[in-house]
Formats: sequence, C-alpha cells, structure tokens
Amino acid sequence: MTTAINTKIKPEDNIAKGAPVIVIEHLFKRFGKNVVLKDFNLTVHGEENVVVLGKSGAGKSVLIKCIIGLLKPDSGKILVFGENVPGMNPDELDKVRTKIGFLFQANALYDSMTVRENLEFPLRRHWIDLSQKQVDQMVSEALENVGLKNTGDMMPSELSGGMLKRIALARTLILKPEVILYDEPTTGLDPVTSREIDRLILTLQKKYHTSSIVISHDMNCVKNIADRVILLLDGVCYADGTYEELEQSGDEKIKQFFEQ
Amino acid sequence: MPLIQDTSDFFDETGNMAKFTGHFFSHGLRPRFEVKELFAQCYTIGYKSFPLIGLTGFIMGLVLTMQLRPSLVSYGVQSELPVMVGVAIVREIGPVITALIFAGKIGSSIGAELGSMKVTEQIDAMEVSGTNPYKYLVATRVLATTLMLPLLTILGDAISLFGAYIGVNISSVTTIHLFFAQVFQSLSFSDILPAITKTFFFGFAVGIIGCYKGFNSSKGTQGVGVSANSAVVLSSVLIFIIDLLAVQFTNLLGLN
Amino acid sequence: MAKQGENNIKLGVFVLTGLLVVMVAFYMIGSNTSMFGSSFKLKARFSNLSGLMEGNNVLFSGIQAGTVKSIEIINDTTIEVTMVINSKVSAYIHNNAEAAIGTDGLMGNKVINIQPEKINSPLAKDGDLLPAQKLTSMDAMLQTLSKTNNNIATISEALKTTVLRLDTSEIFKVLNDKTIGISIRASLKSINNASDNASEMTGGFNDIVGQIKRGKGAAGVLLTDTGFAGNLKTAMVKLRSASDNANKMTLQLNHDLAYGKGPLHALLRDSSISQRLNTSMENVQKGTDGFNQIVTALKHNFLVRGYFKTQEKKRLKDSVNRQAVK
Repeated sequence: MTTAINTKIKPEDNIAKGAPVIVIEHLFKRFGKNVVLKDFNLTVHGEENVVVLGKSGAGKSVLIKCIIGLLKPDSGKILVFGENVPGMNPDELDKVRTKIGFLFQANALYDSMTVRENLEFPLRRHWIDLSQKQVDQMVSEALENVGLKNTGDMMPSELSGGMLKRIALARTLILKPEVILYDEPTTGLDPVTSREIDRLILTLQKKYHTSSIVISHDMNCVKNIADRVILLLDGVCYADGTYEELEQSGDEKIKQFFEQ
Repeated sequence: MPLIQDTSDFFDETGNMAKFTGHFFSHGLRPRFEVKELFAQCYTIGYKSFPLIGLTGFIMGLVLTMQLRPSLVSYGVQSELPVMVGVAIVREIGPVITALIFAGKIGSSIGAELGSMKVTEQIDAMEVSGTNPYKYLVATRVLATTLMLPLLTILGDAISLFGAYIGVNISSVTTIHLFFAQVFQSLSFSDILPAITKTFFFGFAVGIIGCYKGFNSSKGTQGVGVSANSAVVLSSVLIFIIDLLAVQFTNLLGLN
Repeated sequence: MAKQGENNIKLGVFVLTGLLVVMVAFYMIGSNTSMFGSSFKLKARFSNLSGLMEGNNVLFSGIQAGTVKSIEIINDTTIEVTMVINSKVSAYIHNNAEAAIGTDGLMGNKVINIQPEKINSPLAKDGDLLPAQKLTSMDAMLQTLSKTNNNIATISEALKTTVLRLDTSEIFKVLNDKTIGISIRASLKSINNASDNASEMTGGFNDIVGQIKRGKGAAGVLLTDTGFAGNLKTAMVKLRSASDNANKMTLQLNHDLAYGKGPLHALLRDSSISQRLNTSMENVQKGTDGFNQIVTALKHNFLVRGYFKTQEKKRLKDSVNRQAVK
C-alpha cells in the first residue's frame, strides 16, 4: 500500500523531508446544519511539523479527531500510512492508533490512576505480550524524556498544569508513534512553561523522527515549531506555507492571526 | 412550539438510550472481556456499597416492624408480625429500597465519573490507547451493577430481617429461631425468585442509565453535575417502572 | 497491584457471603416445602377439598410432615391429593392413618391432617392411599352448630310448658299473694318507727331527769301535772300489750317452725297462721300509733317542747350536712 502512496508526492511540497504519512482528500464533516469541513485537503510528510491555525470552532479539533478515528467524516479519505482510517474496523483502527500519538488539550490523564498506571495503560492495551520489566523500562524512559523521573507514584491531581502536560506528552510518546497530533499543547500554560513544552516537542521530534500536526493559537509556539503553517478557514485550507511566508502575506484574513 | 420540541426531545433521548443499550449488547459483551476491570468495578460498586445498604436495610426492617405492630395488635394478630414483615421485606421493600439507595450512590457516581471523563477527553484518550470504552468503562460497570445489586439486595434483606427481629423484640420477646422459622414458613420460592430476578433488571437500569448520562455529558462542570443528577432521577423512576412491570409479569406467570 | 489482590479477596468474601445467604434461604424454604431430600409420597381421596391447594401443609398428629404435591380430579366425586412426606415423619405413618382436610387456625390456610388410628396396621409404603375422613371444615362445624341450636330450641320449648304447668298449681297461689309481704313490710317499718320514737323519748326523759337532778324549776310542774302522767301511763300500757302481742306471734311462729314440716310448708299450708299474723301486725300497728300520738302530745307539751325543737333543728342540720357530703 505504501508504494502506491509514494506516487502521490506533489511537486509543490518544497519542504518535504520524506514520504507522505498522512494524506487527506476531499474531507467533509458536518454537525447538523453546521458544515465544519468542506472539501479539505492536506498532506503531511515524514518528519514534518504542520501547524493548523484557525478560529475557535473552525474545525481544527474535528480534523485531527477524524485523523485518529474518533470522529467519522461524512465523506472523503484520510490515508494514514496508506490506509483509509474512516473505513477501518475496530481492530484495524487499534493497530493504526499505535502509530499515531494524540496529545489532548485537557491532557486526559486518568485521574483514578497514578502517573505510572497512566503511562502503562496504552502499553498494556496495545502490546499485551510485554513483560513487567520491559514495561517498567519504557515507563521510566518516557518519564526521563519529559524530565519528571520521580513522579511515577503520584496521582495526576497532585501535579501542576505544566507537569501534567509533560506527563501527557510522555504517555503520547510511550508507544513511539510515527505521527503525533497535538491539540493546543500550550493552551492554559504560562509563557515560560509554554516555551519549555515547545522545546520538548522539538527535542522529542528530533529524537524519535516523528511527523506532527499541531493545533495552536499561540503564535510563539507556531513560530517555534512550525515547518509549515496551514490556515483553516470556512472548512477549507485557506493558506499553506512557512511561518515567514504567511507572516508577510498581504491577505486580510491571514493578517488577523499575526497581529497580536 | 415548545411542546412539540419537548416531545421530540423525549423521543430523541429515548432513541439514543435504546441505541446505547443496543451498543452495549453488540459491542460491550464481546470478547476480549475486561475481567480485571470488572473485578475492580464489582469491588467499588458492590463491596463498598455494602455498609450503606446494610445500615439502611437494618433501619428499614426495624422501623417497618415497629410501624406495622400497632395495626396488627389492633387485630390481635401480633404473632403474625414476623410473617408480615418477612413477606414485605423479601418481596417488595428490600429490593426496591436497596435499588433506590444503590441508584443514589452508584448511579450518581457512574454518571459523574464518566461525565468528567468525557469532559476531560479521558474517554477519547482511552479509545486512542487501543481500548474500547464501551467494553472498558460501560460493559464492566453495567455488568458490575447488574451482578452486585442482587447480591446487595440479598444481604440487605438478611440484615433487614435481623432488624425486624430486633424490632419484634422491642415490645415482646421472640427467639431468633422462632422468628426465622416463622419468616421462612411464610415464604416460598414464588416470593423470592421474582424478587431477586427483578433486582438484576434494577441493577442493569442503574448501570446503563449512569453510563449513558455520563457518556452524553455536556461540557463543563455543570454538565457533569447534570448528568450525575439525571442519572439518579431517571434510574429511580425506571426502578419503579420495572417494579410495576415485574409484578404484572409475575402475575401473568401465576407466580403470585 | 497488591491492593488489587486484596480487593479481590474482599470481593470474593462478599460474593460468597451473599451466595451463602441465598443458599441458606433456599434450603430453608425448600425444607419447608419438602422440595429436597424426600420422595416419599402418600395419596388420599376426597370428595371435596374445600379450597386445599398445591403447596399446603400436611400435618401428622399436628407436626409439620410435608406438603401437598399435586391435586388430580379422578371423577366428579373423587379428587386425589398427592402429598410429599418428610423422611423423618414417614417412618411413623401406618397405612390406616386417616387423612382429613382441616384449617390452620380459624381463618388460616387449608391443611391435611393425618391422624393415626389405634388399631395396629403395617407402615405406609411410598404411594399408598390413606383412608380419608369426612371434611371438618367451617361448613361442617356450622352444620353441627345448627343441629345443636335446634336441640336447644326443643329443650327450651319443653321447659316453657313445664313452667306454665307449675304456674297454675296451688302452691304458686300462696307464693303469689303479695299482700302478706306488703303487710309484713309495713309492720316491720312501724315497729322500727316505734322503737325510734321510744329511744328518742327515753333520751328526752333522761335529759329531763338530769335537769331535775340538777334542781331546775320545771320539775315541780311536771310532777304535779297528773293529766300528763295518766296519758303517759296508758301509752306505756298500750305499748306493752303491743309488744306482748308481737311476742306471742313470734312464739307461735317459732312453734310452727319447730313442729311443722318446714317454714315454707307452714306458711303455705296453715291459713290460720297468716290470719293471726295479720291481726298481730294490726295490733302492733295500733300500739305504735297510740304511742306516736302520745309522743306528739309530748312534743306539744311546753315542758319538753324546747328539747324536741333543738332535736328537730339538729336533725335538720344533720340531714343538710349529709346532703352536702353527698
């Protein structure tokens, strides 16, 4: 399947570092009468960070939830590693989800479990034949990656917002995904912590060679992370380019986002 | 037209609930079973509710006996008090009161827990982590309530009868042996079996309503509160409706 | 994870306790209805079950012995009841024991009573047909009660005629003579009055004598008033004759009682006694009347008037007091 996708590389993808990992074609999604996505197209290549900009309610979260299969689009294709996500049965979906990490806006740490149990949860769910020793090793590696080595036995309610974000990131990364979807990673954090998270995202991306789609309103974050910026407006991909390209754009609608 | 809107909302809700219940049977009851989580839920739902159910059951048996006594005395049949109380507790009051207390404690906790999990995207996170939330969260909880409520009812009945024994002994003297002999003399399988059978349905109703309300919680802390509250209200009402259906059904079967 | 294991143990204990309670309850109910542990069956045929149902108790000499297992209509006058009997009791039931349908308490459930017979007979075997006794239901009891009522009615009818016959006989004529009783009562009242008056008078005399002794002037007048003294004398004489009469009568009565065939007999048979009784009563009456007249005269006599007046006031006061107390 992957070989078939390779032919779809488009010449205008000037920053392409590798083969396309996510290809979205003619995506439609509506909630009742509210059309959120109409004919949305996007291609994400290997080791590329794509930031999706857009107003609240523009359908950014809907987009990435469609990619991971939490929402089912009305029509269109979402090819992740060449396989169409909306057409998958639950088992196939589980398999593809091991390759996609998802960092939730509200962290979504299970507050009835300790940090260690939170991190173990996806491991035990996906790779059932892991020994306890392997699991322990992976958990401590993940905690080390985010610099919170000694929090394993704490409950999420005992941790600060920034720490929670790191733990959530550790949990997202523990499966060593090839694609990571970030839903507003710096929202609700102070600027200093936000920059730390930005740096962490970049460091880990370099370390594990992941591609990512980042949803953000934080222009500093966008500037730090983005290889490519996409502006989602009225359900379509309104603009597509590097941070600098979009910053210098004369378009009124693009300018709104950069005038802060 | 608010009336039409309300009516359509009602049917919408009912339909969604039926769909949710259907989903429980079609997805929740398929392998792989979350056995470990089921045990954990049985522990929290069953074992941890026992002190509350035991206490209320004891008081209920005691009070019921003391309240029934004067009218039996006025007919001169106070010796029939154990029989009367035994039948009342085992057939109706035990199952229904236990189920209502259970709905209050467990229905609200499931509604609030799943509601806040929904609001903080924990359910989505679970799904992303290769876990079917229907199996992991809903099936385990619904199975736990369905299996634990009958057990709690039985133990609650036993404690209630003990309370009734003490109630009888407040104003007269009976040996525990005679008391229970009288109680069991008056009971038959047609009293106990329908009474226990309906508690499975009560438990299922509490579990499925709690999960449905939690899963469909609207955003924000208020949404969580509303889902917890409506879970209790709806499951309490359903308990009475099921009770009504159960009595009709047992009458139909001639098990009275 | 150790906590999880501990919780599972607690859960296990909890579930097992619940199941144990169910099993105990089922066993207790099962043993009540003889559902377990016995397959010893006995049968009995009745013409009327008067409401007996499957599951009703079977008692052997008043002991819980089993339950009614099934009821089958054989023909229009015969219904066969199959009972399951506890193994503990079945060893004591002989095949001539009588099965009867009864009621548990006055308004309770129907039961089958198995009553052993005195004549010896082999032990009952599984499936034996026991002889059935006629029903002893409330209906039967009411029927018996109605018979008893009829008997009572007959008896009371007979009693009534006897009483009527008695009523018309001679003896009741005398017994029915109310006048005797009335006159006896009146005489006794008069005697009572007389003695009251006498004691009053004596009291008065005592006072007067006391006053004389203390040398009060009125005594001289009293002693010289011969008219009064004559009156007093005749009154005394009359009184004595009255009491003599009474004495005589009492003697006569005593004699009759002593030598007659019994007081009732004497009274009833001897009409002369009642005649005499009447005259003596009249005499007593007369005597007391005279005495009363004298006392009235005394009351008006100026000498003792003061005394009687105070006596009268005192009595009035007493009666007022008594009234007040009441």
